[in-house]
Amino acid sequence: MRIQEALSMYDKLNILTDAAKYDVACTSSGTSRKSDGTGIGSCEQSGICHSFSADGRCISLLKILFTNECIYDCKYCVNRRSNDVVRTSFSPDEVCELTMEFYRRNYIEGLFLSSGILKSPNYTMELIYAALYRLRREYNFQGYIHVKAIPGADPELIQKLGFLADRMSVNLELPTAESLKALAPNKTRKNILTPMRLVQNRMTENRQEIQLYRNAPRFVPAGQSTQMIIGATPETDYQIIQVAESLYQKFELKRVFYSAFVHVNDDAALPAKTGEGPPLLREHRLYQADWLLRYYHFRAEELLTEENPNFNVLFDPKCNWALKHLEEFPVEVNRADYKILLRVPGIGYKSAVRIVKARRLGSLDFTDLKKIGVVLKRALYFITCNGRMMYPTRMDEDYITRNLLYAGEKLPREVTEMGYRQLSLFEGGNGYCEDGICVQ
Amino acid sequence: MKTVYVCSDTVTGIFSGIYDAWKAGKREEDCEIALRGQLEQQLFCDYVEAEETEHKAAAVEALIMKHLGAKAYHDIYHAVLSSDPKKGDAVLGTMLAAKEIPDSTRIMEHLSHPKVEKVFELCRNVFGETHSYKGFLRFCELENGVLYARIEPKNQILTCLAPHFAARLPVENWMIHDVTHKTFAVHEAGKQWVIAFGGPADEEVFKRVSDREKEYVRLWRGFCKTIAIESRTNPRCQMQHLPLRYRREMAEFCNNSH
Repeated sequence: MRIQEALSMYDKLNILTDAAKYDVACTSSGTSRKSDGTGIGSCEQSGICHSFSADGRCISLLKILFTNECIYDCKYCVNRRSNDVVRTSFSPDEVCELTMEFYRRNYIEGLFLSSGILKSPNYTMELIYAALYRLRREYNFQGYIHVKAIPGADPELIQKLGFLADRMSVNLELPTAESLKALAPNKTRKNILTPMRLVQNRMTENRQEIQLYRNAPRFVPAGQSTQMIIGATPETDYQIIQVAESLYQKFELKRVFYSAFVHVNDDAALPAKTGEGPPLLREHRLYQADWLLRYYHFRAEELLTEENPNFNVLFDPKCNWALKHLEEFPVEVNRADYKILLRVPGIGYKSAVRIVKARRLGSLDFTDLKKIGVVLKRALYFITCNGRMMYPTRMDEDYITRNLLYAGEKLPREVTEMGYRQLSLFEGGNGYCEDGICVQ
Repeated sequence: MKTVYVCSDTVTGIFSGIYDAWKAGKREEDCEIALRGQLEQQLFCDYVEAEETEHKAAAVEALIMKHLGAKAYHDIYHAVLSSDPKKGDAVLGTMLAAKEIPDSTRIMEHLSHPKVEKVFELCRNVFGETHSYKGFLRFCELENGVLYARIEPKNQILTCLAPHFAARLPVENWMIHDVTHKTFAVHEAGKQWVIAFGGPADEEVFKRVSDREKEYVRLWRGFCKTIAIESRTNPRCQMQHLPLRYRREMAEFCNNSH
């Protein structure tokens, strides 16, 4: 038996950060709150990124595990009980101290607390609750807190925790129940969906309470989210976005996060190591599709089908959709409906709003669109301004595909440099007529 | 003949210039607002030094608030903090353009007007830099417990940053030092924040940090290093979100304690 020495704070933080880094959600958005003047902390609706790590991901919250001692044996996880890694736990006070000191130096926007399962779900949940309670009530922390609800814990505990946190999440882990069974033998789909439903129902009730009593305590004001691992199991993109869509519709989730599978364990149940690294492009395409579902009024079955279940590598899902539905294009920017504008590649929801507002005060031209923020090198194949396209285009899938792929090289100089040259009257050697008088 | 109103690079200065031009009843092509020290001399125009008073600034503010609305004032105020020398001119142009449209509170939607578009762009730029600094600014704890931050912004964003930190850290003594514009935002616990101009005599004061400070910087550096997933390393993506100019003053990137 090996007896572990007491670890320093630095080592503990190192170990428990390292164990938490595969959790994706690090957002601090969705709620807005000012400090009441007695403690520190506030929240911005948009969220704030405080730094970016070497992998380009944002660091917004102090993302740590409460403990990496875990009784479960999920095949994809570093902290599974069959792995031989150094185990350690924070005490509630240590978590509070770290959060407060980092927060006042403006390192972080708040705390993201997750945990391995120590002894039992309830036991772990109580420890987390103790830490958060102390942070909120004794240290008077009013910044952002994201906490994981642990499947299998008492509904009572989850509810109590929800009044302390801004966002709660239950990890879906894997897109389907079969995969979950294969890779996470100690977890069941039912166990995961129960707390999710509980948080949803409690949030609905809370909305009514707040309408009645303005100062009623807020339950998970920034909504709940979840995450799943992509690429560890054989699901198609179509299946995955269908799962995401139903989570948004049936569980009213704020976000679904996708995490490209990173090989940390060698296990027969996991896909073989290929040396290609995590499937980042696939993850990226899923996030793009996720945005289309949430902000662009797309439905999952519009983006992908049973026959064509995976995303195009070359184009983003919106561009891909547009290329397959050329019969709906080109659209007239000065007249088209807001929802139609949203479907044009190169027009985002911000530019769509700006277009709708600006065109009330005058008709828009391609140069105006450029200023508004439309990505013209994409949009130009799909739009007209006052009945004219930017330059003659064949509405042909191959033609547009080719041009989009070589955007920049294939386009005429006028297009790549943007902005039209004023036609000069005295240009060119040929005579022309002005006011009926021949000028040479 | 065109008249150029020359004023200093402050909100009061620019609003005073606008006041004079507005009072003179100029049309857009007959007047221009230029900043002292960033002036490009032109032929065939009059140069007038605007006399700067608080009264004029307040009058212009009231004028904008009344006719263009609070939302437009918000945009214009941010645009005036920009580092662009043409900002005063863009604001004046926007105000004159607002007279021409039926509902002047909608002027900021009139993006096809070049001056309005310029104000919009400047505002977006200032707003963007403010938002970045809300995240990237780093306080360090000095020996006397005061939290001190150094920033080198392009635009004069202190008046946008200070309310954010005052709401966030009401119980702390803190100060933000804008090195580019030699100004400070100072906040005493439980009180209002103030802006102070001019450099301090002794920069050394800011170098003496508390004992705990070094330990927390070490913990934070360790955290930032560990949180990155090795197999996803992507310095280009990191660079895109966090340009190098911000990193000079960030504890996790620079080597000294500041």
